[in-house]
Amino acid sequence: MIELETYRVKARAFLDSMAPKYARKARSGNTVEQDLALGRQYMAARYDAGFAGINWSPEYGGQGLSNLHKIAFDAKEMHYGMPVGFFGISLGMPVPMMIHYGQDREFVKERVTKALRGEEIWCQMFSEPSGGSDLAALRTKVEPDGNGWRMNGQKVWTSWAQYSDYGVIVTRSDPTVAKHKGLTYFWVDMKAPGVEVRPIKLAGGDSHVNEVFLDNVRLEDNQRMGEVGGGFGLALHTLMIERYIATDSAGFGPHLDEFVKLAKETTLNGRPAIEDGRIRSAIARNHAMRAGLDSITRRAMLMMQAGMQPGPEGSLQKLVAVRSRQKLSELALDLQGTAALPFDEHAYVKEDWGTSWLNAPTGRIAGGSDEVLLNTIAEKVLGLPQDYRPDKGIPFNQIPA
Amino acid sequence: MSILYDEGQQAIATESRRVLDARMDKGRLLGLLEQVAQIDQPFWDTAVEQGWTALALPEEHGGLGLGLTELGLVAQAAGAATSGAPFLTVGYGAAQALLAAGHTDDLAALAAGEKLATVAFAEGSDPLPAGSAVTFSEGKLTGTKPAVIGGLKADLAVVLAIHDWQPVLVVATLTDVTRTAVPSFDNSRLYADLTFAATPATVLAEGQTALDLARDVLARMAVVTAHEQVGGAEALLNIARDYSLTRKAFGQPIGAFQSIKHRIAELYGLIEVARANCIHAAASEGAPDFLIAAADARLSATEAYDTAARDCVQIHGGIGVTWEQGLHLHMRRARTLGIEQGNLLFWEDLLVDQLAGKYQNEGAGA
Repeated sequence: MIELETYRVKARAFLDSMAPKYARKARSGNTVEQDLALGRQYMAARYDAGFAGINWSPEYGGQGLSNLHKIAFDAKEMHYGMPVGFFGISLGMPVPMMIHYGQDREFVKERVTKALRGEEIWCQMFSEPSGGSDLAALRTKVEPDGNGWRMNGQKVWTSWAQYSDYGVIVTRSDPTVAKHKGLTYFWVDMKAPGVEVRPIKLAGGDSHVNEVFLDNVRLEDNQRMGEVGGGFGLALHTLMIERYIATDSAGFGPHLDEFVKLAKETTLNGRPAIEDGRIRSAIARNHAMRAGLDSITRRAMLMMQAGMQPGPEGSLQKLVAVRSRQKLSELALDLQGTAALPFDEHAYVKEDWGTSWLNAPTGRIAGGSDEVLLNTIAEKVLGLPQDYRPDKGIPFNQIPA
Repeated sequence: MSILYDEGQQAIATESRRVLDARMDKGRLLGLLEQVAQIDQPFWDTAVEQGWTALALPEEHGGLGLGLTELGLVAQAAGAATSGAPFLTVGYGAAQALLAAGHTDDLAALAAGEKLATVAFAEGSDPLPAGSAVTFSEGKLTGTKPAVIGGLKADLAVVLAIHDWQPVLVVATLTDVTRTAVPSFDNSRLYADLTFAATPATVLAEGQTALDLARDVLARMAVVTAHEQVGGAEALLNIARDYSLTRKAFGQPIGAFQSIKHRIAELYGLIEVARANCIHAAASEGAPDFLIAAADARLSATEAYDTAARDCVQIHGGIGVTWEQGLHLHMRRARTLGIEQGNLLFWEDLLVDQLAGKYQNEGAGA
């Protein structure tokens, strides 16, 4: 297997060669549709250059390299601002799940290649109006229909569903057993009759998430993934795959250097703000926190390199980084005063404090809210008791609404 | 640099914790709080017997030739046990100053635990005064260093003073120095005002070199202390968790209430961030960004230990504030360790100066 440092050099050379056509600068002013088209071109180029499916088996068009190689490439790619956001979920969870559980292996192979090349996009339909954090409270139901199934219900917060060709979905197949036990996992053709996608405009102005309405959607039994009633286990498996994503101690907002720069350029009480104790304290505390997260990441990489399982402290990344990004962004706006008021809704979240601030709440809620993450740390890492759960062990259809 | 502990380092961590678990005694530590000038002798005997005094000194001076990482692991165990002796850190700091200046006569005695050394830099709110109130002239020190850590028992001290209005770092034997005990909220730290009256001393470094050396020694001691703080914070996290699993209120363990479990989970976050910074800082000994790494470790470890002390007591309710339960041992130690080796305000300023300077040097793309 190619040595990691050599691989980084190779990745950098590839990304440099792609940058003029695809990176942040080349994308500025694009509409979402133009950006998606550019993204598809980039994905195809990336596939042809051998940087797609880095840690996937060659049998499915992957490169057969380690998780570390993938993280190394993703971390580098993140700096360039390539138009890959549309494909993040698709290749992050649903497609790997298809590789694990898809019944028709030829169909799976075809889908995987097209997804890697950006020709097709997959979405993940978990959250519902009745349950986000409480996934197992979902109500979308499937009922046997001949040799297949019929599905009715509604999903929400589904990223990129409006551009998706396929999706994976967790449904309730048996309401007479406890809520975790009656779930079944399928893949869905997003163009099938009865599937309707409605984008939701978010506070920051963009509409990457959607409501998905499912009205008498027919599913063949070979669209089922895993056992009937095994859906919750598969949902957990899906979330486990997320462990091998690149982290960002800046919480996917601006780097602390940007704040230092702002503090040096801004005057406060007739002096550079970098000399103000309150600003200095914020810089120092944020630096200490981010440096700690970076060190946790490097140690996790070393552990993986040594064939060990990274420690549970990796679960702190999103919790700690995103909420501190939110507060630092508020402070950056305060620091600029009225100069912070002009707002460009297309500004880049890693360069613009207003955009970073306005979109930070999404980061604290999506993919496990702060509160759920704290519960997980308390229960799974520290062994503290579960919350009071009045619905525990009760058949789903007997839980008081 | 970040590392994974190797087998030897893991053994040091396990063994130091095991020894201290077996030998430390809460009742004895509580007793020390009410006596001025008493060191926890069993801890110090253990430190000498286990070779902790020799750990981070070079082999040619009777040391074991290990470094900050290993000493940090011992400090972490000592912190968990609120061990009652300050010399693990300041003895190491003094030895590093002597070593850097090539003044090696006393190192073997320090390694063997036969002599005790301390560091006398801080004056009030300034951990590193460039214009000290202690003057050095014609080979002699005059003036008072306030609340020197371990000052009541140390045999020698590395002192930051001024000579012709320039900083100077000297070493002095404390035999004839007047020591005035400082009764404190954490008495086993042996704080004493040291009053020098024409006390003979030897120069280790002068001018900017003296200040740079003192800063490096302070940063090293801060990294050791940060490990000690992480050890203390982690002990408190475990105490809080165990208590919240057994104590019941309103028909369930209090650890089932989110106000309690989230508080403990937040502590876990603070501690893991601080631990990661400590590992990075210890492994960055001698590297160009060591000061930054030390500041990160120090800031996050102080926050972790202070927060753990506050929250652990709070989670215990009434029993948490009793003398006998002893959580105040950690509460007191969290604050003394927070003040020793430069307070938060000092490290915040030092870190920002480093970052702002670094930014200037490397330009906007850094």
